[in-house]
Amino acid sequence: MSAGLLASCGGSSPPANLVSVSNAGCGTNWHAGGLGPGWHTFQIYNAATEAGEVDLIDPANGAIYAEVETIGPGTSSPMRLDLGSGSYAFRCLFEDYDPVTGPTTVIGGHARGTPAILPITNNDLLGPAKEYHAYVTVGLITLLSQANVLAADVRAANLGAARSAWLPAHLTYERLGAAYDSFGSFDEAIDGRPDGFADGVNSPQWSGFYRLEYGLWHGQSARELTPIADKLIANIRALQASWPSTEINLLDIGLRTHEILENALEFQLTGHDDYGSGTTLATTQANIAGTLELLSILHPLLAPRYAGLPAVYTWLDRLNSLLNQNKRPNGHPIPVTQLSTSSREQIDSACSQALEELAPIAAITEPRIT
Amino acid sequence: MPDSEQSETVQSETVQSETVRSGTVQSETVQSETVQSETGAPRVTRPDARPSPRRRAFLLGGLGAGAAGAVAGVAGGYAYRTTRPAPATEVALENAQAGLLPPVPFEGKYQAGILPQPQSQTAVIAFNATAEGRGELTDLFRTITARARFLTAGGTPPPVGIGGPPSDSGVLGPTVVPDGLTVTLGVGSTLFDDRYGLATRLPAGLRPMLPFPNDNLDPAQTGGDLVLQLSAGNQDAVMHALRDIAKHTRGGMQALWRIDGFSSPARPSGTVQRNMLGFMDGIANPDTTSQAQMDSLVWIQPNTAGEPAWTAGGSYFVVRLIRMLIEFWDRVDITEQENMIGRRRDTGYPLDATSIFATPDYVLDPEGEIVPLTAHMRLANPRTPQTADSRILRRGYNYDRGIDQVGDLDVGLVFTCFQQDIKRQFETVQTRLINEPLVDYISPFGGGYFLALPGVVDGTDYLGRALVT
Repeated sequence: MSAGLLASCGGSSPPANLVSVSNAGCGTNWHAGGLGPGWHTFQIYNAATEAGEVDLIDPANGAIYAEVETIGPGTSSPMRLDLGSGSYAFRCLFEDYDPVTGPTTVIGGHARGTPAILPITNNDLLGPAKEYHAYVTVGLITLLSQANVLAADVRAANLGAARSAWLPAHLTYERLGAAYDSFGSFDEAIDGRPDGFADGVNSPQWSGFYRLEYGLWHGQSARELTPIADKLIANIRALQASWPSTEINLLDIGLRTHEILENALEFQLTGHDDYGSGTTLATTQANIAGTLELLSILHPLLAPRYAGLPAVYTWLDRLNSLLNQNKRPNGHPIPVTQLSTSSREQIDSACSQALEELAPIAAITEPRIT
Repeated sequence: MPDSEQSETVQSETVQSETVRSGTVQSETVQSETVQSETGAPRVTRPDARPSPRRRAFLLGGLGAGAAGAVAGVAGGYAYRTTRPAPATEVALENAQAGLLPPVPFEGKYQAGILPQPQSQTAVIAFNATAEGRGELTDLFRTITARARFLTAGGTPPPVGIGGPPSDSGVLGPTVVPDGLTVTLGVGSTLFDDRYGLATRLPAGLRPMLPFPNDNLDPAQTGGDLVLQLSAGNQDAVMHALRDIAKHTRGGMQALWRIDGFSSPARPSGTVQRNMLGFMDGIANPDTTSQAQMDSLVWIQPNTAGEPAWTAGGSYFVVRLIRMLIEFWDRVDITEQENMIGRRRDTGYPLDATSIFATPDYVLDPEGEIVPLTAHMRLANPRTPQTADSRILRRGYNYDRGIDQVGDLDVGLVFTCFQQDIKRQFETVQTRLINEPLVDYISPFGGGYFLALPGVVDGTDYLGRALVT
């Protein structure tokens, strides 16, 4: 929550400043003469014959005040920002051409405007991707060993033991939440929901942890569940085998910082993904752990760029504490439907606020060309 | 419109004496029928499984169940007959349709959304506070205030550069238009528990909403630590405001229930909007241009007995969500309908008069031969000096939220009213209505008692400041 922002909200836009760009020149027609600090809307016009991208940067360090990511040939797009004191230049990026930076305009005084943020490049994200890849490698080893215990219990018809073994294996998978897109179809096979199948929970196509959960908590037999457990092991092994050659999409690293908990709010905190074990709050905690891992890897990039980072940790901590407070005395999770209204509201509230704080990270860490 | 739990006493006592009075007196100055008159009212005794017998009995002239029992001797008297201009609602609706309602000034001694006529669209949302401690609660009040200032004034939301997602949802376009938006914030009694150290500041008249006989209150749609009412010319402006405020307060409060409401155009023109029963609603109300009436009926005064000083300038805000069983209602003949309400359906005239805004003259009709003693209008506002101080400022909206399990329409009334004292006003009126015949056709299922906070006096002030500091 913040009360800020208001002072600058009421102003009306001045007449647009037309800024023409192409692969030959970038805002060369832009003269800031008489341009004072405050809100301005530039109409960026692409005079070239191909699409391009236009940034308004601080030429001293390449930090970006505002951007128009794609602008088609012959079209224009508004760029609106609050100009503060500082140096400004348009930079144009057209495919197959070197970036072109236009003339620098200086606005004097001591006005604060829209802050410039140092862009993050693909190169900046290679290290974090490698680190995260290694985290997943370790996670998959743990996952396989825990899933083997689960599968062995199912095959041996020790279904009580299987129910106990199910949770740690599932939580290990749920801690790898930043990698699901990279897992491709393995994610659906290992942790898919029945929602997309015509027969729902009765669909023979449904496999993975949730399918096993459904069977283990709905009185299905070891005989019925054994092929499902076997298939789970086979899929985890196949994923593990493919992982060394799998690349993490660099864009995903930032996106997943809020997407993991977006999914937790949608599927775990609602109870949607409770197929019988009543452990969606534990799953949420595993998702928090996965998010924290990602944040830890990105920390060096985020710390100088995101003033809201401490609030991210504050709210993730609060959410985690609330989840810790809402457990059975023996440490088992409480089904979300059995929470008191006030506990549920506090948890949902903390998760939602954490998501608001996390949201800017995806924009900040989007890999940009400089 | 419920009645009290404590009602054993309240109920019988009040009902009786009101009944007597209504026979006895007379005039009332001016305006109103108090309460929720033609609209939704409460229900009452759940009849036996089949309502028909009771309904018919009522029609045949019996005074239905307990409500109106005895008729006392009548003293003479007279009633003022007043005519009033068509409400400003119509004008507002026309402007709203053009999407051009001007901003409603946010600052003032009182919250700006309380006195105006109902707007075209509204939403009432109850929240529970999730802020930890007084400091965070104060932040919450400041944030709601800051967002309300911006949203009611309009303007262009600031771009965030490459530093995050857009700061505004964009549903009103790149520039937020005010569209007459008002934001009214209230607090419920549960906010005064041990979480924020506010127990000693509990307003004297604030408590959980009383269930009245025949209420069907759903806990999931009743109560709340806080309530917001957002009203504007168009639904998109209401939705935009709710979305914006929620986005900025996620860690401080969590929505508990919500209902959207709408005003209908006056049909025919020059009359008053109709509720889902087809009757005009909100014909009589206290005169909001009279400071004296507002001071005696709506605003809590600095010297209001028993009230903590911080409440001065506030107003008790009662919300009742009332389902109307319109399929059942539509199967009732028009005479019975009009006798239940006390007005003509087509014209809105009181059954004893020939103009909408005429004051019914119950003194001349002590036995209820013209306007039945159990008519909603008559019970709600007997128009006697003794009942004048129970009048409330009624601000109802219609609602439409789909269908129920048997395929009937889930429509009704978002009954809202403002007053200085819930017990003296809303509960007294509601108590008079306990056994009215209309109860068979309505079902109150939610809502709450709140105190709409005093206004924000200047740019540094915030809603709830006097409460939390």
